[in-house]
Amino acid sequence: MALVTRFETPGRLRDLPDSSPFYAAWHSKVDAELSFSVPGPVPGGGFYDASETVVNVAATRALVWMGFPRPLLTTDYPGGRREAFAKGDTRGADIPEGRTTQVEYLEWFTQRDKQGRITKVTFTTETPEYWHALFQAPEGPNRVVELYRQLLGNPGIDVAAITDSSGSYNPLNAWNTTRGIIHYIVETPPNTLHAALSLVSNAVADDILISDNFDNFEDFRLEPTSADPRVRTDIRGLARKGLQVTAAEPIGIYMGGWDDTGWSKPDGSPVGNYWKVIRPSGAAGPPALRLEYEVPASEGFVVSDIRIGGRPIEFGGQLAEHVTVLVNGVAGILA
Amino acid sequence: MNQQFEFGKQEESGSVRKPAKAALDAIAGYQPVLPKNVSLPGKSEVIPSGVEVPAGVVGRKPAGEMSEPAAAENPVEDVYGEAVRRKIQGNIIPGFNKDHQHFLFYRITDVSPAKKFLRAIAPHITSMYEALEFVRAHRALRMRLGVVEPPGLKATWVNIALSCPGIEKLAGAGTGEQFGEQSFRQGLAERSTYLGDPTNRAEPGHKSRWRVGGPDNEADILVIVASDTLPGLAGKVGLVRRWAAAYRLELIFEQRGDALPGTLRGHEHFGFKDGVSQPGVRGKVSSAPGDFITPRYFVAANAADSRPLIFAKPGQPLVWPGQVLLGEPRQHPNDPIIRGIPATNFPYWAARGSYLVCRRLNQNVSAFWNFAAEAAAQTGVPPVTLAASLVGRWPSGAPLMRTPASDNAALAGDPFANNHFVFDDNTRPSSLRLIPGYAGDSFAPASADMLGTVCPHFAHIRKMNPRDSATDLGKWQDTLRRLILRRGIPFGRPIVGIERPSAKLVAQERGLMFLCYGGTIEDQFEFLIRRWANSAIHPNFGGHDPIIGQRDERGNRARFVDLPTSSGTVRANLKAEWITPTGGGYFFAPPIEALVDVLGA
Repeated sequence: MALVTRFETPGRLRDLPDSSPFYAAWHSKVDAELSFSVPGPVPGGGFYDASETVVNVAATRALVWMGFPRPLLTTDYPGGRREAFAKGDTRGADIPEGRTTQVEYLEWFTQRDKQGRITKVTFTTETPEYWHALFQAPEGPNRVVELYRQLLGNPGIDVAAITDSSGSYNPLNAWNTTRGIIHYIVETPPNTLHAALSLVSNAVADDILISDNFDNFEDFRLEPTSADPRVRTDIRGLARKGLQVTAAEPIGIYMGGWDDTGWSKPDGSPVGNYWKVIRPSGAAGPPALRLEYEVPASEGFVVSDIRIGGRPIEFGGQLAEHVTVLVNGVAGILA
Repeated sequence: MNQQFEFGKQEESGSVRKPAKAALDAIAGYQPVLPKNVSLPGKSEVIPSGVEVPAGVVGRKPAGEMSEPAAAENPVEDVYGEAVRRKIQGNIIPGFNKDHQHFLFYRITDVSPAKKFLRAIAPHITSMYEALEFVRAHRALRMRLGVVEPPGLKATWVNIALSCPGIEKLAGAGTGEQFGEQSFRQGLAERSTYLGDPTNRAEPGHKSRWRVGGPDNEADILVIVASDTLPGLAGKVGLVRRWAAAYRLELIFEQRGDALPGTLRGHEHFGFKDGVSQPGVRGKVSSAPGDFITPRYFVAANAADSRPLIFAKPGQPLVWPGQVLLGEPRQHPNDPIIRGIPATNFPYWAARGSYLVCRRLNQNVSAFWNFAAEAAAQTGVPPVTLAASLVGRWPSGAPLMRTPASDNAALAGDPFANNHFVFDDNTRPSSLRLIPGYAGDSFAPASADMLGTVCPHFAHIRKMNPRDSATDLGKWQDTLRRLILRRGIPFGRPIVGIERPSAKLVAQERGLMFLCYGGTIEDQFEFLIRRWANSAIHPNFGGHDPIIGQRDERGNRARFVDLPTSSGTVRANLKAEWITPTGGGYFFAPPIEALVDVLGA
């Protein structure tokens, strides 16, 4: 495969005109994240920067994992799964407590009406790095405000609402925390592009054993999440085969699928397709960066009235359990 | 993916097309072969009461038998002494595994006599103690006689389970709420579409059409009778029927199950060996070194080899007892060697009971083999090869991972080899303790197949147990939390192995009485079905489980598999369905004393 000359934006988003220097800046940002990559010695595999190293791609692999945080589902809450879902939706004054539990590179915001009924759940896999970069572009602040207004349906949002006292972009602004959601904010462990790429690159950084006498049973991974061991196990497995690996273009973290089979309307019939891919715009299905679940007004009921396997929806996390997060990887041999 | 093709119509039961017929004939001759003189050591030769044993075969010591070195005993596992084993129902551990079984589904019409029924049947319920002693005696006999099926050792057993409404009727309103397992409280019918069953009432698998377990015909009590002999089965079933009638239980459905006859014994109706892979339950029978519930064979190949701590034998992972028995140590969420915290979300009397899922699944053998033949023609492989890729094993049970090109009956019959493979890496040789008469696994080892070109990601055995592979729940350790103990048996007359079956025979109903036990329903059975079998992208991309996977997306039941070929993958859209749910239920198999002390009190 030829060298990548410009790293794409996630989902090939075009939030600014093609002529904007933002895209070159984004390329540099991604390139910098990959700069520590060192293709491994043959036969050992390594992590490579596709803009610097030519690799003949032998395989692609979609790495998928569950969007709802595994650590919550494996905790022995006295209230069982319901309590786990409740934790994922816990509100808070500045940063919702529930949001801090959303550690699987999928964050969501549950919107309720005055009666407390869920009317919409919005999911995102967008990174803070992208929004910082967008804000820093010459025409960025206005465009970011415009996007906030558009995505949250609130024309009253202004630049002051999303910046700090020095005028810098504030990712922990109210519209990305307590009042809505735009992109990741979880910091422990961080949901960031840097963390995701580090996960991949660190997986093959030092101790890959190329041996017939080694497999995943020896290569114990104890992290409690779904995402981290999924990525590390797969990447290390590919590297053990002597393959060079990297994230596929356009590099990003996506929602790779959502499953509403067995969900029913109040009358017991199957739900309609109430999913809407918001970003990238115009997409009919996966992969998605921003996804909404909202029942059209014409149906005469709201999300809370839907049952999943006979159970009423009480929390956004019940939907997150059925959303799949995805990173595409490629593997090959040094050209 | 570079090609796509479809199979446009639902098959009728009565039509086996010519290529499919040829494939069916071809597999009729398969017979698994145990390697010569293979014997499985057993610690005990105690024969439980009620078991018929031929004279002179117990107690003889084989010449030259060598002593067994102690197997790994780290971590320390609990001893399940005789008193405890007598409280646990035997179909949970070690499983009945009888050739003839009968399932009776009852509704309680009058609570007081129903309680008397439980008290009457309680002394006849086969415990883990009895069943395990039998299994050990069976092993000992096989060792002494050097045969697969020792003659004369026969038994007839009974177990029982209750649905949540059944428990509520017997133990009082609100008792069901004490079970933290919400799926159990809801019941199978309410979870049906979540499992991919049809949403359209016109579909044959819709819950409203079920023979038992639908919204209007849910059973309160399930009695399982199992026997090695037909007279034994008939006698005990007759007894249960008489008691049930006397105590005014309403029989709402019954189903006989039988192992397929002749060379296909142990196979399911499509013709494939079933139940080859089961997890081994941790725990000890006594404090004697090496006296485990599940015999251990692995020894470490070197200091870094952790497999003896994880596996009982090659490919048989160990699970903590709480994965099947309530209140016992469960699988730790992250580390398979650490004992996890026991569940507490159940009434006190339910400790060491187990959830039982029952699904009556009709199998359309013609549709399955017609698909295999048609897809084989499209991809240029023999129909049996194509069908084997759907299962992940050849009809004999030999795994594709170890014999990709053709079936191998000897491999299939070697219990230390037929599960000895991983998917992501080359499979390391196993080091086993000395097994008298067993020369070792000399079959070609499995090579790494991380991308699913040998055993596709959609293959049934890879979907249901991804083994070493990462999944959408992360690490392989999580997969151990999903494993179930399967206890199914075929029902109906087979057409595999039958030369020129008549149209009338082909049209008859046949299928699998699927049963499994687990410490949860939602995190084990339902997880496996909904999250993996019914998904084209979990645990890995590649298509739906073509054997048991279902999908109902607003009435659209289309599924697909991405068949690997030498020139890339070919997507085969599966329009026909060969598995149709026709009944079942979610039950709880209580500890035996609770039948008298609580439910029958």
